[in-house]
Amino acid sequence: MSATRVAGAQATSAPMRLAAQPGEVIDRSRRLAFTWNGRPAEGFAGDTIASALAASGVRVFSRSFKYHKPRGLLSATYHDPNCTLQVGDDPNVRAAHRRLSAGIAVTSENTWPSLSFDVRSANRLVSRFLGAGFYYKTFIKPQRLWPAYEKVLARFAPGGIVEPDSPHGHFDKRYVHVEVCVAGGGPAGMTAALAAAAAGARVLLVEEEPELGGHLRYGTDADRAAAAELRAAVAAAEGIEVMTDAVVTGRYDDNWVAVVQRDVPGVFERLCKVRARTLVVAPGLIERPYVFEGNDLPGVMLSSAVARLVNLYAVKPGQRAVVLSANPEGDAAVDDLRRAGVEIARVLDARTGANVVRAEGGRVLRRVELGDGSKLDCDLLVTAVGWTAPTSLLNFAGDRPVYDPDAARFFPGGQHAANVFPAGGLCGDGSLDEIVAHGRAVGAAAAAAGAAGTRPPIPTLARRPHPALFRSTTHGTVDWSEDVSSKDLLAAAKEGYDSIELVKRFTTVTMGPSQGKLESVNAVAVMSEALHQTIAETGTTVWRPPYVPITLGALAGRGFENTRVSPMHGWHVARGARPLVAGDWIRPDHYGDPAAEVNNVRTNVGLIDVTPLGKLDLRGPDVAKLLGLVYVNKWAKLAVGAVRYGVMCGEDGVVLDDGVTGRLGDDHYLMSTTSSGAATVWEWVENWLQTEHPEWQVHVTPVTTAYASMNIAGPKSRELLGRLIVGVDLSAEAFPYMHVRQGRVAGVNGCFLWRIGFTGELSYELHVPAAYGLHVWEACFTAGADLGVAPFGVEAQRIMRLEKGHFIVGQDTDGLTQAFGADLDWLVKLDKDDFAGKPELVWQQAAGGYQRLVGLQPVDPHIVPAEASQLVEGAKTIVGRITSSRMSPTLGRAICLGFVAPHLTVPGTLVTCQLPDRRRIPVRVTEHLAHFDPDGERLRG
Amino acid sequence: MSDQPVGSGVPARGVPAIRIPTPTASPNGSRNTKARYPAKYSALSLFTHGLRGRDWPRMWRRHELRPSYDVVIVGAGVHGLATAYYLASNWGITNVAVLDKGYVGGGGSGRNTAIVRANYLTPEGVRFYDRSVKLYENLAADLNFNVMYSQRGHLTLAHNDSSLRTMRWRAEVNKLEGVDTEVIGPDAIKELVPYMDTSDETRYPILGALYHPPGGIIRHDAVNWGYARGADIRGVHIHQETEVTGIDVEAGRVTGVQTTRGRIAAPIVVNCTAGWATLISDMVGVKMPIITHPLQAAVTEPVKVFLNAVVVSGTLHVYVSQTDRGELVFGASTDPYASYSTRGSLEFTEELAGHILELMPSISKMRVLRQWAGLCDITPDFSPIMGITPVEGFLADVGWGTYGFKAGPVSGEAMAELIATGRTPEIIASFDLARFAEGRLVGEKGAAAVGH
Amino acid sequence: MIQVSCPWCGPRNSSEFRYVGESKGRPDPNAATPEEWRRYLYVKSNPADWATETWYHRAGCRRFFAVERHTVSNEIRETRRPAAQLRLEGGAP
Repeated sequence: MSATRVAGAQATSAPMRLAAQPGEVIDRSRRLAFTWNGRPAEGFAGDTIASALAASGVRVFSRSFKYHKPRGLLSATYHDPNCTLQVGDDPNVRAAHRRLSAGIAVTSENTWPSLSFDVRSANRLVSRFLGAGFYYKTFIKPQRLWPAYEKVLARFAPGGIVEPDSPHGHFDKRYVHVEVCVAGGGPAGMTAALAAAAAGARVLLVEEEPELGGHLRYGTDADRAAAAELRAAVAAAEGIEVMTDAVVTGRYDDNWVAVVQRDVPGVFERLCKVRARTLVVAPGLIERPYVFEGNDLPGVMLSSAVARLVNLYAVKPGQRAVVLSANPEGDAAVDDLRRAGVEIARVLDARTGANVVRAEGGRVLRRVELGDGSKLDCDLLVTAVGWTAPTSLLNFAGDRPVYDPDAARFFPGGQHAANVFPAGGLCGDGSLDEIVAHGRAVGAAAAAAGAAGTRPPIPTLARRPHPALFRSTTHGTVDWSEDVSSKDLLAAAKEGYDSIELVKRFTTVTMGPSQGKLESVNAVAVMSEALHQTIAETGTTVWRPPYVPITLGALAGRGFENTRVSPMHGWHVARGARPLVAGDWIRPDHYGDPAAEVNNVRTNVGLIDVTPLGKLDLRGPDVAKLLGLVYVNKWAKLAVGAVRYGVMCGEDGVVLDDGVTGRLGDDHYLMSTTSSGAATVWEWVENWLQTEHPEWQVHVTPVTTAYASMNIAGPKSRELLGRLIVGVDLSAEAFPYMHVRQGRVAGVNGCFLWRIGFTGELSYELHVPAAYGLHVWEACFTAGADLGVAPFGVEAQRIMRLEKGHFIVGQDTDGLTQAFGADLDWLVKLDKDDFAGKPELVWQQAAGGYQRLVGLQPVDPHIVPAEASQLVEGAKTIVGRITSSRMSPTLGRAICLGFVAPHLTVPGTLVTCQLPDRRRIPVRVTEHLAHFDPDGERLRG
Repeated sequence: MSDQPVGSGVPARGVPAIRIPTPTASPNGSRNTKARYPAKYSALSLFTHGLRGRDWPRMWRRHELRPSYDVVIVGAGVHGLATAYYLASNWGITNVAVLDKGYVGGGGSGRNTAIVRANYLTPEGVRFYDRSVKLYENLAADLNFNVMYSQRGHLTLAHNDSSLRTMRWRAEVNKLEGVDTEVIGPDAIKELVPYMDTSDETRYPILGALYHPPGGIIRHDAVNWGYARGADIRGVHIHQETEVTGIDVEAGRVTGVQTTRGRIAAPIVVNCTAGWATLISDMVGVKMPIITHPLQAAVTEPVKVFLNAVVVSGTLHVYVSQTDRGELVFGASTDPYASYSTRGSLEFTEELAGHILELMPSISKMRVLRQWAGLCDITPDFSPIMGITPVEGFLADVGWGTYGFKAGPVSGEAMAELIATGRTPEIIASFDLARFAEGRLVGEKGAAAVGH
Repeated sequence: MIQVSCPWCGPRNSSEFRYVGESKGRPDPNAATPEEWRRYLYVKSNPADWATETWYHRAGCRRFFAVERHTVSNEIRETRRPAAQLRLEGGAP
């Protein structure tokens, strides 16, 4: 941050900047230059963007959403609906909250061509025709023109700009574990934190502003002294972590609390996830605007905005003021204005019936019409007509606020979860001492919650009577960000949108960026008026998280998207393998030419990395029972050293997974699963063991990544492996097809070899302790150089398995394919007493009539129908589909697997296939699923 | 029932015949019943109302409960209201009550992300949702209410070869059914959505997408209100804040409902609830194969419009569109455990944000403004349950999972036909309740799981 | 994020677990009628009330267990070992 140090100087371009104020938070020694709509501007360190602009005389910050009316500061808080600005590439920045920093480019949003002259403000002239929801009643016919209308409407969309090349920026997350989380760092929150910490709790204290203190910061000298004392006590206390410029945005089930933190160095925003035993909600109160004609003119401001501008930022809010006050806070604002040298044209005491009916002016406020019809010239109208309790966090915890007509505001309803505690102004009014006492009691109770013993009592805060002031005798703006007036609400109610939820949806009142924090209660009051019922009867809308908006970046955090790679991954990358994303795994798809890879396997020998294959180590006397239950075929007689193929079905008979399982010892088996099914199958077998058959003794250990797996395939695979292996006789007699052996390969002990053949060639699947995977892999290439050994990828494997007619679960089966439909008649053993899905398969076989997986070959051998091409009869009757298709390098023709309707399964049947370009070609049903070597002579050799 | 108009469907036992006023019924018309006080909406009426400062008449009125109705519809969401509207407009059946424990469109119909599309996987699914799209295309004129159907195109991204294959499958079935759907590549995607990172450097590279030009978004509340108004004009009673507390069954037949405002006699009760479908069905002892899960959605603050298509990624469990107001509207897959809670969760927004930034990294500084949840009744085959039940007169239009809103018009039309004719229309025949016991599940599982 | 108390590991974030579903008994596969079997497959009671469910500590001890959870408040009042395990232990000497 670059700052010019000019000791004691006053910014010359700041006509509204006051002399030093006792509580000001600006550092007059550090000037910060920035730009405002392209022009140079300046402020002090500690300024908000809005206070710096206001000090330099800016009164119009934005244009309204619909009518493009000029808008000025209203609450001068984060929730101020009138000063969301674009700061560089950051849209919708709350300029009354965001601290100024040097060099930023600040621009107004939603203005065209400029903030001072906005042609769309012409909408105001036709506003009587553009009442809330006007668009529902027009643009109906002709319907073909709606897209054109829509484009025009979309141009009126409010908000800032994001660009396609905006940098992502750095975001972060953090977990926090505390006994007590306190939302709000005002007097109640600070004392609650102190009391909880004194009781031994770890405490997180979260404050929206850059420093603790709440409303005391911009109060009297005594208030500021009290704030300083509490701040010092918090700083000195053990066990309190303070986050400032941070907000509790949500409370979720079991007190999972979200905090957005904005002042972490180097981080745009950080999301803290807090597991708190108890949550203390002490957000204070939000001042409510008053509804009357012209209430959205720049210069009409809340009393708390005046207090902030004068006391914190030394900004003079105007030159000549009228103040409408219904409470001591309004009275205090009069003192602030006097001290700031603002001429007080009139103080209107709403408690004695004085009122404002109209504010007038063009771009900014010029005069005010009072209840008695008189008019006063002024450029500032301050209202202090009441407060709103931001009960959002309680609502997220199940509470519904309850209206108290005497105090003219909503209060907590007491329905919230027991581990949530409201504190301070939310609960009632009182002197600073009473608020502090309340906070202290709540803090102690929050710390004690869940512990043994009696709960400390919490005193009741008195409720100060307050006149019910919502709308004057005229109509005005209720929702600044949505440009919704009280007139709109009344009209909507008459039109039948006669509940607060319906009117919210129809007029969009409270749905803008401040989410009703300023507007909600006024909207409820106006609706109550329209419906001739009490505010309590009307009730409020349901508040939804987040309490304040949070960036997508903070929610996303750094972005942990796992990937898994095998020990040989670097080897593949170095050889230019094209990566294939398969679930979590990154695998080599091919090394340049899959067809050549196929040919090399068919003629020489190739190696593929199959590490992602799921592997479960099964031990115990009852493994065979488990296998018999989860597979559709039989396992009781599998000999030690033998391997068997199996298919699993769900209880609905739908094919779930397949793979081979080998018996390594009497009570020791190794099961392999598909790569994508590894986690599912592990959970599946554990489920059977734990919830159905806890009496079986089986121990399951997942060993997928404990081994690097590779398949050595091709006619020369035996010769290659023979050069590396010790202790295993590879001859066809000693180590036949579908058997497993253990041995030492390339000097590595504890390797498993399975003689199986997904590719249809003589092949050995080698499982090597993972740490030695790369060593063995490289040893194979060294040892087999003269044999023409070459790597092959997933694509070549898929081609070869299709040539062999092996199906892939999930590709050649779908979510409804039961085992017989996958042509597994030869495998399913319905004479077993029980296995997963057995009843469904019994009924499937009995009923027949299901689609069946068959081999298919296009009559024209050069046309490869895209996978998922449909098989049709007549114009559009679907009788099947292609599930897999490739050009076979071995056969020089197109080959497929696919489903066909039962009447088309006879080999030789011609079926019509519709290609994606709508051409139709004949394909022939083949005798076997296998297009190549159907008898398996090659792999048994 | 021989004197009644005959629908195309199969006779459905379990639908008591109701007297249909002759001869107004016309299956395709919507102009038969004379409206009592239709406020005709148009640019001109907007102008004259504005000029004279006149109030508009009520969208729908409030009524006392009648002691009996020909048809009682439970749930004033899009399904219930559309059923009532088509009963009145297509069949002249107007002695109909629509009951809701809350307000019009306050359940799933007002909480969904308002996406309309027909690019399903099974022929029966495609035909069904395509009919809905067609009805939506003409709905504004039908209802004289602008429902703002924006057919901006719908993209379902494929990040791996298996989802690309599923997209191709859907495209091919769609083509056979005459629905405009095609698989497109990354360059074409980039052209439609310039903010999308279509490079192959990403964790979830975009290999292609299913592009469905007729798909888009609609103003969901307007649809609900428009149907409510259309039904009200034709004499249907809409009773808000009227909760059904019990359903009377005698000798296997429905005789009426108990409500918080009193009993109503009715020979036909239609369950058009979502989220509470099993609880209402439990009242008559019909067990539904449904599990209720919350589904969460979120909306950002507005920014200038930059996204002109609906973007969906099943792999990343996210769908997003931008409203004309400039807000991004997001949805995800359903919550991982069954619940009737609509309080929302943080992990949903975290995962959603992470995944949306995988697709469009430059929007990281957009802010989530609000999240909410609705309840989704998930069936085993991701298809609805429509038609007769074992209790005579108790009809189901439930099990709408995450795809209920887009099916509102066609469901209303078909349920109205079923009620009026006593025959199950062909277009919903495969969605019957009996399919579960008979093992005839519908194969939408692959496409509907997340494919909004 | 609710917390689930695993009978073996104690309270953990629900993201460590997988919700398996309502606990249901498996009918005799050799005696069940299609209606019974498909009720087991597809029909759940889906109450807006206390429900007995099975959860799996996927990112923890990998054990299945029973959970009594209220489906409206999401409150969990009890977690215990699977019924089959408790039966087995109850039957042991």
